[in-house]
Parts: sequence; C-alpha cells; structure tokens
Amino acid sequence: MDWTALWLSVELAAATLAVLLPGGLWLARWLARTRFAGKALVEGLVVLPLVLPPTVLGYYLLVSLGAGSPIGRWLLQTFDLRLTFNFLGLLVASVVFNLPFMVQPIQRAFEAIPPALIEAAAVSGLGRWATLWRVELPLAWPGILSAAVLTFVHTLGEFGVVLMMGGSIPGQTKTIAISIYDRVQAFDLASADRMALLLLLLSLLAVAASFFATARLMRPRA
Amino acid sequence: MSPAAAVPDAADAVCDGALHMQVQQDRPMPLAGELSCAPGELLALVGPSGAGKTSLLRCLAGLMHPHSGRITVGGQVWLDTARGVCLPPQRRHVGLVFQHYALMPHLSARDNVALSLLHVPRAERARRASAWLEHVRLSPEQQRRRPAALSGGQQQRVALARALAREPALLLLDEPFSAVDQMNRQGLYDLLADLRQVLRIPIVLVTHDLAEARQLADRLVVMDAGRVLQQGTPEQIYRSPRNARVADLVGVQNRFAGRWLGPLAPQDEADAAGWLEWLASDGTPTGQRLRVRDKRRLRVGQRVTWVVQGDALHIGAEVQEACAGGPIGCVALRAQVVARRNLGETTFAELALDGAPGVRLRITRAGPQRRALQAEGWLQVRLDCDWVHVMPVRTG
Repeated sequence: MDWTALWLSVELAAATLAVLLPGGLWLARWLARTRFAGKALVEGLVVLPLVLPPTVLGYYLLVSLGAGSPIGRWLLQTFDLRLTFNFLGLLVASVVFNLPFMVQPIQRAFEAIPPALIEAAAVSGLGRWATLWRVELPLAWPGILSAAVLTFVHTLGEFGVVLMMGGSIPGQTKTIAISIYDRVQAFDLASADRMALLLLLLSLLAVAASFFATARLMRPRA
Repeated sequence: MSPAAAVPDAADAVCDGALHMQVQQDRPMPLAGELSCAPGELLALVGPSGAGKTSLLRCLAGLMHPHSGRITVGGQVWLDTARGVCLPPQRRHVGLVFQHYALMPHLSARDNVALSLLHVPRAERARRASAWLEHVRLSPEQQRRRPAALSGGQQQRVALARALAREPALLLLDEPFSAVDQMNRQGLYDLLADLRQVLRIPIVLVTHDLAEARQLADRLVVMDAGRVLQQGTPEQIYRSPRNARVADLVGVQNRFAGRWLGPLAPQDEADAAGWLEWLASDGTPTGQRLRVRDKRRLRVGQRVTWVVQGDALHIGAEVQEACAGGPIGCVALRAQVVARRNLGETTFAELALDGAPGVRLRITRAGPQRRALQAEGWLQVRLDCDWVHVMPVRTG
C-alpha cells in the first residue's frame, strides 16, 4: 500500500475542492441566471473536459503551461512559478478537468429554483445577499453537495491528466491512481488489488453518503 | 434603508395613501393605462389572459420596469421615468400575493412569514410572524409545517400573512383564489373583507373570474391587449360598457345590433332621446324601434351595437309593474322561451323575439320569479329603454 500516494491524492482532491467550490458556485449561478450572446460557447467550454480524453486535455495543458510556452515562460519570469511536474501543476489541471463536474449540477440546481421565489424574496425586502444566503443556497444545496462529492471522488481517482501534467514523482505528483498503474506494470498485483479496492470503497462510500444526504434534504418535512 | 426611499413629492399634494399609476410602453409588449386606487378601496383588474393585468401588477411591485410611467403611493414616488426614479421592490412597501403562492419550500410557514420581517430583531420576528399567521387563522401546529404539508387554502393564507407582515402601503393580489377550491374560496373572501376593515391601504386584485371581481371589487379596470379600456364600478361597466369589446370581455349577455336613427320628434329633443332600429345580427330589421337615451355622440344612419342588462327585461307578471323608464319609456315585446337551463336556484332562459326568431334575449331569474320562464307559448316582455346603452360599431 502506497500511503504517500493516497495522501497526495486526498490532498489534491481537497485542494481542488477548495478552489473549485467557490469558483464553480459563482460560475454556475452566473450561467443559470444570465442570458447573453455566446452563452452556449461558454457552457460548451465548461463541459469540454467531460468529453475530451484526459490525455488530450493533459497534453494541451502541458503544452500551453509548460516552461517552453509563452504563458509558462511569463509565469516563470514574473512569479518564478512552474506549473508542470509539481503539485501546483496537478492542482491547475485538476481544477480545469473537474470544472464540468462542479459547475453542471450546481447550475441545474440554480436553474430549478422557480423565478417567482426570487421575486417573492425581493418583494419581501431581501437584498441580493440575503436572497442568496436564505433562499438560493438552501434550495440549491442538494446540487452543491453532490457536485462537491463528485469532484472530490473524481479527483481522487484521476489518472490521465495527472500523468501528463505531473509525471510520476513520488511524494509530489504520484497519486494513488498512478501508483496502482505502476504496481500493475511491476506485476505486483497484490498491492494494486489493495489500493484499487480502497479507492473503490472510498468512492462508493462518498457517493452513497451524498445520495443519502440529498434524499434527507429533499424529503418533505411535516 | 436609505432616506432616499421616502422621497415626498410636492406634485402629489394628496398624501392620503392613495395609489396613482400611469404607464406607457410599446415594447417588448404593449402596456398602457392610468389608474388610481384610494386607501381601503379594492380595485380589480379584469380581462382575458395576456391582457396585461399581471404585467401592470408587476410594474407596481417593481418586478417589471415599464418604458415610461409614474407610480406614486401616498405621495411617495416609486417610479418616475421622466426623473429617472425607479425604486427596487425591496424599497417599495408592497405586499404581493403570488398566483401560485411562491412560498419558500425549505422554510416552515412561520419562517416564511418571518422572512419579510428581517428588519426587526430575531425574537420579535418570530413573535410577529406567529401573530400574523394567527390573524389568518393558522394554528400553532400548522405554523410549524412546511408549505408542502399545508393545503392550498392554508398556503394561500401563509402567502397573505407574509405580504401583510411587511406592513405594506399597497397590497397586490395576483389571481389569489384561482388555485383554491370553492369552499375555501368563500373563507378567503370573508378574510379579505375583514382585512379591508382594518387595513386602510389600496388593494389591487388581478382576476379573470368576473363573478369574483364583481363580488369583491369596488371598482373594475377592464384590460385587453395591454390597454386599460374602461374603469368604473361594476354597475357602471355592466350598464354602459364603453365599447363592444368591453361588453364582450365583461360578458354582457344581451348584446344586439342596430342602426341609429337619431331624434325623430321635437319631444325627443326635449327628453334627450333618440331612436334605435333593432337589427338582427345579419343586419335584417327586426321590425322593432326603441326610443333610448341619446348622448349626442352618434351619427344618424350609423350602425351601432347596443346592450341591455337582464334587470331591464321584465316578463310575465312583472310587466304589470310600473315602467321605470322615466321620460324615455318602455317597449312591449312578444317572445317565446326557446332554451331553458336550470342551475340550482337560478334559471337561465333564451327567448326568441316575435318576428325575428334569430334574435335571442337572455334572462336569468331566481326563486319564485323563475315560474314565468317555465311557460310555453308567447310571453309578454317589457324592455326598460332607459337601461339601453348604445355604442358605435368599431370599424377596422
């Protein structure tokens, strides 16, 4: 069992969530509430990581953010920042890759709130923040919860993008999914077995817990 | 809340709490009209769906911004496009009861009401929310339930309590009774009547139910295609609709065609009377001429539409009563019942006019007076011509 790799995966998943939850929430609400020319294009870009092969996405991220690219050079010269083959690079890749998993469920949840409720809040004297806090977020909560769980679990087991962007540096970019692949390559099936099973159980547990919580939230209470 | 919310307006010297509204726009949808509502008065906006009733209400609440217009309530300016004033809904003291209640599904009835009391301290908030809910007759146990666990009528009461808890300067009701069954509806009518005794604020009700509008409203505003066509008391509108469209919209049953003949004798001029030739709907004469009130607005020879309320038609024994037409007088007709429908305590009948079988008079009678409508054969009918209201036919 490669505990370092598991811990790295958990760290990456938590960091991705920390970045993506507020950002995704904002983007999802904006997409749900606003209509503008080119909205389909923005929505398409958000969903793109879902349909693109992870290696393709990883390749483009590597090429566009790597030290040889204009962006990579600029980051290196201005901030002394490298985004490839380190944890920060993994985080950037993971955030981009999980965008649809975070944004889509939350956007649907916001869209499902009847406009009359928002208007009722305004007529009742609630300002923007009060409406967001007391009406929109509680109603969108099941969507937000499932998006967060989905993102976390999805990052935990991500392979293609992580491999392209981070390589496989133990303790830095070697996540549990890559470690499993490594073990299989080395014919150490017993290790691979244990780690795969752990990942499976963790994912199942998280998804089941989110479904359970959502069902509880949605249940009409007398 | 900033002090700018209460801009007193010198132009509206009346600070009695009355509502004055005037809007005008062509796009995205036409909307035009002017209305006023005194405190304690209940104004009903009526008209077919798409007439702009709800849009007008949304303009009042600040949920929709008309291209140009002016809204004042109690001298306070809510909207004045000429001066660039447009208060957001939060700063208009308005209570709005939505058509489908729009209660927050995740909050209990009490928390729903407390939501419009965020400006008061937390402890006071719960106490006041409970008091309002008690006022609309919801038990403490029901107050703890979420909307999904309440009946339609109870949800409606919560919505009303929420609107009232804001202590509004204007109460708006958007088809508030449409989703409530008839039995609960009567209870809500009574509740509204009680509230009107207490609340001295203008109340604007949107409804497509004319019976409801007549029963509840002091005045009606008839709308069609975004325009206010006529406003007045129900009696005024039913008796003298401004034009054929209004007559149609408010469901005036006895509507006929005619040709205006004008005054024919010196006595007509003295009585301000004129003659009307009664035509069948295809334009053929019925052989009847009516002497009616002349408002000097019609050309001689002009085709007209005219209406008369059922109250002005007397049948059977009623004909013996004195003609109330004054100098205008009455006309005696002969007609035969050709269709009869009994609905509980009332009978609705269609009578074919002698000599013009295509022309139908519609009469409703209740109680013992229904007997006259059961007769076979020819009936004496008297038409009180003072009640006849003549309108020009709209061309084009």
